[in-house]
Amino acid sequence: MANQAPGVRIDGLTVVYKTPAGELPAVRGVSLRLEPGSITGIVGESGSGKSTLALSLLNAVQPPGRIAAGSVEIDGLGDVTGLRGEQLRKARGKHIGYVFQAAQNSLNPLKTVGKQLLDLGRSHGVDDLRGLVREARELLGRMGLDGARVLDSHQHELSGGMRQRVGIMLALVLNAHLVVLDEPTTALDMITQANILKIVREVHAERGLTTLVITHDIGVVAEVADRLAVMYGGRLVEQGPTREVLGAPRHPYTQGLIKAIPRLVGDIDEARALPGRPPALATVPKEGCVFRERCPSRMDVCDTVDPEPTADGPRIVACHAVTAPVAEPGTLDKEHA
Amino acid sequence: MITGTGVVKTFKQRGKLLGAREVRALRGVDFSIPKGGAASFIGESGCGKTTLGRIIAGLESYDEGEIAIGGEPMSALTTKQRQPHFRKIQMIHQDPYSALNPTRTVHQTLHAPLALRAKQTGRSRQWMEERAAEVLTLVGLDPGTVLARYPHQLSGGMRQRVVIARALTVDPEMLVADEAVSMIDVSLRLGILALLKDLRERLGVSVLFITHDVATARYIGADGELYVIYRGQVVERGPVDTIIADPVHPYTQSLLSAIPVLHGLERPGEQPVVPLESLDESQSDEGCLFARRCPFRDERCASERPLLQITTGAPQEHACFHPARRDVIARPMSEV
Amino acid sequence: MSATLVPEAASASSTMRRNFWRGVWRVMRRKPSRMAGVLILIGFVLMAVVGPMLLPEHLPGDTNAITQPPSWEHWFGTDPQGRDVLSLVISGSRYVLLTAAVTALITVVVGTGIGLFSGFKRGRWDTVLMRVTDMKLTIPGLPLLLVLATVWQFGSPLQMGLVLGLLGWGGVARAVRSQTLSLRERGFIEAARGLGLSTTHIIGRELLPSMAPYIAMNMLISVTGAVYAQVGLFFLGVLPYESDNWGVMLNLAVFQAGAMITPSALGYLLAPLLAILLLTLGIVLVVDAMDEIFNPRLREE
Repeated sequence: MANQAPGVRIDGLTVVYKTPAGELPAVRGVSLRLEPGSITGIVGESGSGKSTLALSLLNAVQPPGRIAAGSVEIDGLGDVTGLRGEQLRKARGKHIGYVFQAAQNSLNPLKTVGKQLLDLGRSHGVDDLRGLVREARELLGRMGLDGARVLDSHQHELSGGMRQRVGIMLALVLNAHLVVLDEPTTALDMITQANILKIVREVHAERGLTTLVITHDIGVVAEVADRLAVMYGGRLVEQGPTREVLGAPRHPYTQGLIKAIPRLVGDIDEARALPGRPPALATVPKEGCVFRERCPSRMDVCDTVDPEPTADGPRIVACHAVTAPVAEPGTLDKEHA
Repeated sequence: MITGTGVVKTFKQRGKLLGAREVRALRGVDFSIPKGGAASFIGESGCGKTTLGRIIAGLESYDEGEIAIGGEPMSALTTKQRQPHFRKIQMIHQDPYSALNPTRTVHQTLHAPLALRAKQTGRSRQWMEERAAEVLTLVGLDPGTVLARYPHQLSGGMRQRVVIARALTVDPEMLVADEAVSMIDVSLRLGILALLKDLRERLGVSVLFITHDVATARYIGADGELYVIYRGQVVERGPVDTIIADPVHPYTQSLLSAIPVLHGLERPGEQPVVPLESLDESQSDEGCLFARRCPFRDERCASERPLLQITTGAPQEHACFHPARRDVIARPMSEV
Repeated sequence: MSATLVPEAASASSTMRRNFWRGVWRVMRRKPSRMAGVLILIGFVLMAVVGPMLLPEHLPGDTNAITQPPSWEHWFGTDPQGRDVLSLVISGSRYVLLTAAVTALITVVVGTGIGLFSGFKRGRWDTVLMRVTDMKLTIPGLPLLLVLATVWQFGSPLQMGLVLGLLGWGGVARAVRSQTLSLRERGFIEAARGLGLSTTHIIGRELLPSMAPYIAMNMLISVTGAVYAQVGLFFLGVLPYESDNWGVMLNLAVFQAGAMITPSALGYLLAPLLAILLLTLGIVLVVDAMDEIFNPRLREE
């Protein structure tokens, strides 16, 4: 079971953070499926809850945050929200590989990469450490690095792109088949970014992984992901096959986000800024649609009723303006029409 | 407004026990940014674009070459005499979080440079307050709500606007924006870019944009000049739209090829250029600096350094022995 | 539109000052321990300023009641000369606290000044000043004080404070320098230079406030250091007994009244010790609030 890509089913997940103003939801009622063997990209701005969602996959939300409701079912592991202590620690690394947001700085500066690899192996009770090193060297070689040299290096001897690749190696070396990449290319150059994204795609295919990419950059998702999910104010506002969503975005936020990217060709003045600014934990509206303050198609109902995610074929959108006209019986709730 | 010829900057790195390592940040760069014009420096991190921006803003010294502001060569002046010239060129930092003093309110932040200005020109307190409100309004902030706030009470986008407002207090003739939107939320970035564009159009302020994202450079000034910088050397230079549409240097082409394609909206270019290896500063300085990574290199590239030149017919300059047009950028589906 | 804004903006700086103190009050109220700390410190200051005025210059001794244990009449008993121990603690507090204040002031002013200058100027000045600081740090404090005590009687708390202060600034200078070095690379310092603001402005208005919590903490902590140092010197008996001082009391309690073996002299020993403990406690409790007071984000929250 651990040797093939697992599927993940997140259902009604709510994660709250304790603040002086009470418990506020950073992620609210999010349902998302990661199909086995797919790459899913989650796009969101700061405060959208995307990183919190990714941490929930490991059940690694730190206090003052906690998972308040919902479940995260991973094939071969069961509901990770119920795992505790030793079980959880084993699951991380062996089943789920996580490449942290600041992978460029997440290595221990005092130890060589090889030493850290051995620490990782020992803490997961790997008997064949030699085999682990061989595996690591192969992985690094696969990503275009000189494995032996990198394992002998300290963090400061590696460039940003190299560190990112080391992060990916550490996430995969224990043979995890579910990989979460949090902002894998932030602070990297265009060329390095393109290189890392290519590696992510190739390694994903070769090792048979289920991959989740978290990013603020729609371009990154467009390059690697099969499916795209857009988060805003703790809610998943739109999801669907990447090409379809980019080609014809339905949620006003997705539309605005895509329109706000200056492009290389065409009329540059077509790029439009989104008015307003993204909400923070404390300023997310308590009721109604989270995006209405900035929404060009705001209606009365948006102030009071939070739109439910509604499926239309493979695409799911949570917006009154989108679902109202098509909300006729027969067109909804069919997974693969 | 500002021109530079043959600007050279070398950083000496200490550390190794024997012998200091030298990093050639700039190897003789020429540039010229007209009054009210726009220019963009693009390249990978460590290519020298930030160093050049800092030299232009007067925040860094240079070892060789000449910089002239408003026609006046800086080498003829003492450090003190240069200051008023460089003050006309204000830097907008990448990180709006560290660019504002967390212990000072927006009012205090704007007040300091305005007080200096008022003292020099003999203006009143009243003028200072009016001017503070004016620059805030110019950058799209409401003075009434923002003045008494501390930086931590503002969003990233608002902070960057305050940073720009602070630069405007000294009536600059040019703004140097170093990756000015990379740390700002995606939905707010275009707002800041639009502001810079707007300041350029309305106030006639020149804008120098330093970035690794060509598309944002194009947004600020499609009519401006683009400088593609590689390891301290300008390898291609010309009008933004020309270079985007018709890049001839393989390095420019690989930068443009690396821009993510919005599959579903766009189709990737037919002939993307991917560098053979990643940037390594310790590579030899002999021959063309890009040769080791260039898929189109030959023997000549390994031994001889190409200089910036204009091939007949092309509107841009480039430093390559084998310039060639290649279809590298993504185009909208609707267009193809 | 600016016409309506101007009066608002003009009063901004005085409003801000008011907001600052309101913020300080809010920070202090957040934890009862901080209020307790403030009360303790205010108590000690009052004791040092007003206390000696209420007492006669030479405390009357009752030869019939020497070395008495604590009683309702004498809360901490009496000393071998029959003087009230509590009154001795009060009259001794002025010397102790004045010395501590002078020490703290000198430590912080000299340390911060040298650290700031050194870190901001860098280069040759930095090298020279830091060598001096290192040299100063290598001088062992206590032996030097012992030597100095033989030639200098430290009759006045100002002299004592001066010597302790001049011995104590090294650590602060080093710390402030390293803070300055990291702060000067921040964007806002560079921006201030780019705007042509004066060095005085940059150091005084931009750098110093950012280090204020740090400096304030160092100042408070050096107060405790100074108290320990002088009490220690007096206790060792290397200084003359003339002055009323908690250290002198401790010395007399141990070596004259025999507090270690005579239970009735225990009050004489404990009173100055308690005073020192209480003072330290007050300072520790207040230090906890410094970060929040000088950091606008923590203050306003």
